[in-house]
Amino acid sequence: MTDSLREFFDLAIFWEYRTVLLRGLAVNFYVFFAASALALSVGLGAALLRNSRLRGLRWIGTLHVEVFRNAPEYVMIVWVHFVLPLLIGLLLHSRFEFNPFVSAMIALGFVYSGYFAETFRAGIEAIPMAHLEAARSLGMGEGLILRRIILPQVVRRMLPESINQFISLFKATTIVYLIAVPDLMYQVSMITQERMRPLPLYTGAALTYFAIVLIGGSSLRVLADRWRARILA
Amino acid sequence: MTDTPTIQVLDVHKRFGSLEVLKGVSFAVHRGNVVSMIGASGSGKSTLLRCINHLEVPTAGDILIDGESLCWHVDAGGNRKPRPLSQINRIRRDLGIVFQQFNLWPHMTVLGNVIEAPQRVRGMSRKAAVELGQACLKRVHLGDKADEYPARLSGGQQQRVAIARALAMQPKVMLFDEPTSSLDPELTDEVLAVMRELADDGTTMIVVTHEIGFARDVSDQVMFLHNGLIEEQGPPAQIFGAPRSERLRQFVSKRLQ
Repeated sequence: MTDSLREFFDLAIFWEYRTVLLRGLAVNFYVFFAASALALSVGLGAALLRNSRLRGLRWIGTLHVEVFRNAPEYVMIVWVHFVLPLLIGLLLHSRFEFNPFVSAMIALGFVYSGYFAETFRAGIEAIPMAHLEAARSLGMGEGLILRRIILPQVVRRMLPESINQFISLFKATTIVYLIAVPDLMYQVSMITQERMRPLPLYTGAALTYFAIVLIGGSSLRVLADRWRARILA
Repeated sequence: MTDTPTIQVLDVHKRFGSLEVLKGVSFAVHRGNVVSMIGASGSGKSTLLRCINHLEVPTAGDILIDGESLCWHVDAGGNRKPRPLSQINRIRRDLGIVFQQFNLWPHMTVLGNVIEAPQRVRGMSRKAAVELGQACLKRVHLGDKADEYPARLSGGQQQRVAIARALAMQPKVMLFDEPTSSLDPELTDEVLAVMRELADDGTTMIVVTHEIGFARDVSDQVMFLHNGLIEEQGPPAQIFGAPRSERLRQFVSKRLQ
């Protein structure tokens, strides 16, 4: 019992593989940033569709949100990686496949675009119409108003909620090893197979993710609060 | 210099569903004149002012800005068509409007609010826009508040920033939509003082207001609206001294008590 406990806390083996594990962690961050960029841009697009004057466009936006927000990340990753290429292959009449990294980015990016779309939409709706009227009355065009008046305010308003979504997205990057994206979890399972020491390896991985989310999340919150406090009375 | 009026309102009607708010209003405002619009709530005066800036689209009638139609244009084929938004935006640059609720953009500094449109709509360089913005802030006596955020200013100060923001586009006419209605009495005076100075400087102004004293002292023309029509108009001495209609007489006596 004490031996197994000692093994549990002995993270030396985790340290031993630090280079390869760090490389794995870097992959988590790659996937995170790529998927974030995709989720934010697609999410903004969907939010604008949902606020459109045309009913058909609003409907497409709503469909997008409902489909992707309700899809489990793991199912989406597997579907995008194994099924979507088959469908594209059928259309192109040739073999087609995605690099696992691309599949992970698309799947996570689209799932989180559903969440971000709702956050964007709430942020856009919270802006008083009068702010837009003031801009229109000065001759500002709609694109300029979106860029200069709406988005800067939306970003400030949606920060607290989007920090939580970024955290969820970061955590979700830990399942991309299922389609062989060589992230930290992938490296850990490879080393485990070789060394048969799952306890310290998986514990080390858990502690690493925990520390990153805790430190990253709380420092983002402090920064966000400072930034918002200056502007929103 | 011809005598084309700066603003010409031609038989403007505005209907919201079954409710006709404006029932055919016509008047002209000449360069350098100050016109006040008074009347009870719901008389249509704010809607009329918003039509002049095309924030409301008239159901019928037209508005000419320096002789140019705001609502219609004639396309290459000679057909009269509703004016596209891009052209309306070009005309709007010359029409400053100040709202009841200030409507400053909270994420920008005071100076940022003022220079936004000169820089991005007029295409001025940042340096020139800042210079202009600071001059406009001085005109409303807020030269020292350039770097504050709107949330840290009083209502009266915010409204003066809104005036500076409209002035910075160097408009042909300034439209005021009940600019003091959401201010405490002690803050009302500082805003009215700035408006008086603008009027003295020869700014063309149309002012929707409940401030009878201001309308009486500053205006060249006063219009009394009732139920979507101009019930009576004339110089302030006539409107307040010798009102012809019974309704105006009641309106004025209630407010001058």
